[in-house]
Amino acid sequence: MQSDKTIFAPFVRKSDSTSRVMADVILALLPCIAMSYLAFGFVPVMVILVAVGSALLTEFLFSIIFSKNTESLSDGSAIISGILLAFTIAPFTPLYVVAFGGSMAVLFGKLLWGGLGRNIFNPALIGREFMTVFFPAVMASRTIWYDKTAVNINELNIFNDSFINQLFYKASGAIGEYSIFFLVLGGLFLLIRQRISWHIPFALLAAFTVLLLTVSNLTEYTIQFSLGGLLLGTIFMATDMPTSASTNYGKLYYGAMIGLTAILCIINDVKYEYMSYSILLLNAFVVPINWVFRPNVWGQKLDLLTRLWQGLSLTACILMATFAVIYLHHTGLIMYLVFIYIAYCIIRFIAKGVKAE
Amino acid sequence: MHILSMKGKTKKKSIQDIEDAPFLYIPLAEYLGCAPTPVVNVGDKVKKYQLIGEVKDKFATKVHAPVSGVILETKDYPFADGSSVKTIVIQNDYKDEEVNDISYKDYNQCSPEELIERIKDAGIVGQGGAQFPTAIKYSVGEHKIHTFIVNGAECEPYLTSDYSLMAERTEELFKGIDIIKKILNADNVIIGIEHQNRELLKVFAPYLQQEEHKGYKAILLPDQYPQGGELQLIKSATGIELPRSKRPAEAGIIVSNIGTIYSVYQAVVNHKPVISRIITISGERSINYGNYEVKIGTPIRHITKSLGIETSGNTIIQGGPMMGKAIQDLSIPVTKGASGILFLKKKEVKRSNCISCGYCVDVCPMRLMPMKFEENYRKKKYFNLEKYSISSCIECAACEYICPSNVPLIESIKEGKIKLKELANAIR
Repeated sequence: MQSDKTIFAPFVRKSDSTSRVMADVILALLPCIAMSYLAFGFVPVMVILVAVGSALLTEFLFSIIFSKNTESLSDGSAIISGILLAFTIAPFTPLYVVAFGGSMAVLFGKLLWGGLGRNIFNPALIGREFMTVFFPAVMASRTIWYDKTAVNINELNIFNDSFINQLFYKASGAIGEYSIFFLVLGGLFLLIRQRISWHIPFALLAAFTVLLLTVSNLTEYTIQFSLGGLLLGTIFMATDMPTSASTNYGKLYYGAMIGLTAILCIINDVKYEYMSYSILLLNAFVVPINWVFRPNVWGQKLDLLTRLWQGLSLTACILMATFAVIYLHHTGLIMYLVFIYIAYCIIRFIAKGVKAE
Repeated sequence: MHILSMKGKTKKKSIQDIEDAPFLYIPLAEYLGCAPTPVVNVGDKVKKYQLIGEVKDKFATKVHAPVSGVILETKDYPFADGSSVKTIVIQNDYKDEEVNDISYKDYNQCSPEELIERIKDAGIVGQGGAQFPTAIKYSVGEHKIHTFIVNGAECEPYLTSDYSLMAERTEELFKGIDIIKKILNADNVIIGIEHQNRELLKVFAPYLQQEEHKGYKAILLPDQYPQGGELQLIKSATGIELPRSKRPAEAGIIVSNIGTIYSVYQAVVNHKPVISRIITISGERSINYGNYEVKIGTPIRHITKSLGIETSGNTIIQGGPMMGKAIQDLSIPVTKGASGILFLKKKEVKRSNCISCGYCVDVCPMRLMPMKFEENYRKKKYFNLEKYSISSCIECAACEYICPSNVPLIESIKEGKIKLKELANAIR
């Protein structure tokens, strides 16, 4: 359907495009890439480059083989998937594992679903899950997280307060987490450019904070989480357009549920994957969320009771799924979930191809 | 949604005439399955304003000869929507002989019913684009009309034909409003104009101060698209949110377009049926920009020739750029609902996948989820279209205007409605 169908209105359009949306996101991510160089020099930069490179190469090869049209490479979405994937992993992750992750991110996160926009799950997080499942030993090793000898700049003392200095720059954690300040700045930029709306980040952080305070006040449990990881997920992954809710109320619910799911994961001892689990989990529920939280059509009465009932059932389903995932996590069965996912993607892709012929 | 305006080039241009075409093509177009019946034969001599198409069915409208001349033939002829329609061809004799019927009584002494009859005789239809017969609209039966809203919100980019009428023929317009108020026995009159046209308030002020115009008020509306949509205008003017399935008259409201009101004035006061209308000629590929009074039935080729507008390589649109139609054939005649002819540079539209950004949901005036129409149409799940209330869609195209992926939303919606109708008929 890529033809010139000028017989249909409108004949004027806002000058905007998918590539511009993606370019804005890349722009918002650039400062954090620079910060990763400050932390460990070229090591994390290489990780980012390899992730982006393998994502682009995979998309290029896939397009040549299956669609003979490499136009989609220019939309920039593979670059974003690559950067975001690199942002969630450790700086000293072996590059072949990174290449595998970048490649799987676009292949199973996007291409097999029919390209940008048709995917259900966040490609970067899919790539990360694949890495954890196929290279469990590498990904669980502690040595990939820190190397004292490789530290480029240990700390920046720009402000008088050490806490604020740490928010500005701190050389620990995953590649994207070195600067809370630039993560937030990137988010504000996207907000101003209207590439994300405030609903998801606000609801997510509000739910997370409220639950965090409740849990730590009512129980002995001390919640440990990475602020950088939380913000990276909140600003750049939970707001990913194709895989998040599209209506305003839907976005609020979606964000709040990610916050709730993340806390549930944390208090049930899911130590590192709580953000990726909760975002991927909510990705799966975007279609019903959009339906239950659809806007009320002009001039029609809102059937609040039905909506409420549907919302409650939806919440129950999400909670059950959350506990199922936590169970699978602790029994080491997440890998089978990934295998099923792989099989489903491939079968679905082949079936679509057969149907089209 | 805020949208580009592009009105500056034609706003200050006063209404001009275009010389009459040698041949005029009067379509006997259907409305809701009803078409006018020709009452002249090939070879007949007709005078200007003479009735040539009579009404037999409820929703048909009368048509009249725009010039004096000879009926050349009746044939199937291309029409703006791309179909071909039975059309009466008149050869202009350039004598301008008019029908002079003098047997009518002063309109001030007419009852509302007699006034409606005159509107019907003049073949007036809604000129905002929908082309609903005005006489039927004003026959409100037992409904008590509390507010008559004058739709001065010309929210489509480029178009200024209504603006030119409001600015130049204000007195006629107010007389038209007086007549309609009398027909409807309405308590209030609200004239809605857009903020970008706020200078009109000064033009209206002397009329609004007159004793006979008590209960009239002019309001400024935000420059939002689609502010001129009937339901959106009603909400802005009265605060009432009407569902699309309900007729405004049932809620005590009638809305009329500026061009329609001017036609009512012409019909009732001057006994002139609709044989011409004001159209805006504009667009980046146009020259001689302006607002022109053009005879109904004038082929577009005649207009481009008279004004010297180059047509090759351009997209030519009848109506506005948001809801108008692209013209494939220059022989298509000007109709009563055509508010403009625009000449835009032909552009290749690059379509890509929907990325669920939700911009379309944000801008939809009817609070629908346009992206779902494209998705379900693409997947051939036609019944899901109504699950997402496709029948409430007014096809204003705000969704596709804002879409960064240029998803074919309007195409899916229009074709989807047709598919849904076919399915419903098949089941019945």
